[in-house]
Amino acid sequence: MATRDDIERHILRAAQGDRTAFKALYDATSAKLLGVALRVLNDRAEAEDVLQEIYVKIWHNAARYNVNGLSPMTWLITIARNSAVDRLRKLRRAGTTDVLEDRIADTGAGPETQAIAASERRRLDACMEELAAPRAEAVRRAYLDGETYADLAARFDVPLNTMRTWLRRSLLKLKECLSR
Amino acid sequence: MSDRDQPDRDEDHILAGEYALGLLSAEEAAAFEARMVRDPDLRAAYAQWATDFAAMTDEIAPQAPPAHVWQRIEAGLFPDARPRAGWMRRLALWGGGLAAAAVLVLALVTGGDWGAPPQAPAEALYRAEVAAEDRSLVVDAVYDAATGTLLIDRAAGAPAPGRALELWLIAGEAAPVSLGVLPEDRRGSIPVPDALRPRLPGAVLAVSDEPPGGSPTGAPTGDVLATGAVRDT
Repeated sequence: MATRDDIERHILRAAQGDRTAFKALYDATSAKLLGVALRVLNDRAEAEDVLQEIYVKIWHNAARYNVNGLSPMTWLITIARNSAVDRLRKLRRAGTTDVLEDRIADTGAGPETQAIAASERRRLDACMEELAAPRAEAVRRAYLDGETYADLAARFDVPLNTMRTWLRRSLLKLKECLSR
Repeated sequence: MSDRDQPDRDEDHILAGEYALGLLSAEEAAAFEARMVRDPDLRAAYAQWATDFAAMTDEIAPQAPPAHVWQRIEAGLFPDARPRAGWMRRLALWGGGLAAAAVLVLALVTGGDWGAPPQAPAEALYRAEVAAEDRSLVVDAVYDAATGTLLIDRAAGAPAPGRALELWLIAGEAAPVSLGVLPEDRRGSIPVPDALRPRLPGAVLAVSDEPPGGSPTGAPTGDVLATGAVRDT
């Protein structure tokens, strides 16, 4: 498995136009990013199509990677997640996908899937657990399912402003917990 | 952020979280991005949320993509499959990024939310916002025709430790010409040689990462971190 340093080196070389490094980056990370896109979109063909878009963005923006302060996997995952959410929202607007359709369940993670440091994940999990279960679910659905305030308000059957107040309070609690 | 009240700091962290989750309306997101341009604390708050939220993807199992996905990426990005022709070719490949940056520049300029230039030149003929797509480096350059200098305001970002930022002029298809290393201070000026002044209108300015003192070769050697089109004021 490629280490964090390998991935970073591939990105930096791709930024200089090194196609071999870009292919190495693709080989090391595309399965993870397809997993993320599939988790968001729940549609294999759409996820594969978005994956193509994701790597085009990565190639075009590789030169800007090392100035944004994110770890290499966080940078890649953020591009993947945001691209997949953009696609999902486009599909929803077009009426192709049911807004509140339940997503596929997460499959168990092997050690090879742990692209993010386990400590980061434990920290987030612990802080999410300090939130009431529905509040934590709302944060997860916003991130992993691209749900909007309107989607969440419908899901939890509360007025939109109430939903926003809830979620904003959850973010503040999370931030306090995460920075402890 | 030390001069701000705790409630303001909290509000900024909440906003950064909403932005990272994609919960803000288009208008709110644009306003947040405009503030991030000038506020490193806000950028740090966003980066922290991006990192924290990305941990949610840790339990997602990888899914090997079929071979045709890579073939399509390759065909789209490298249709000629010729050996890379270097820096100018990469610039051409960044069409999308440049277009996006240009849209942002336009939004910022026309939105009236653009910071005043460092000094108010009597004859500001041209200006360019040379920016990284993620706004991690933003250099405002205003050409003062009276003195033949570019007034520089590095609104965001800094050279990496032990490195320098170098400014390049790219006119049409010509190779990049160095305008010099950016001042260490956030604000300063760079003289534009007589011969280069006529090339400014319609040109592109770029900033690259270089060894101290600038590129030893006369051409960019490091990553190109930011680009921006020169516009009439």
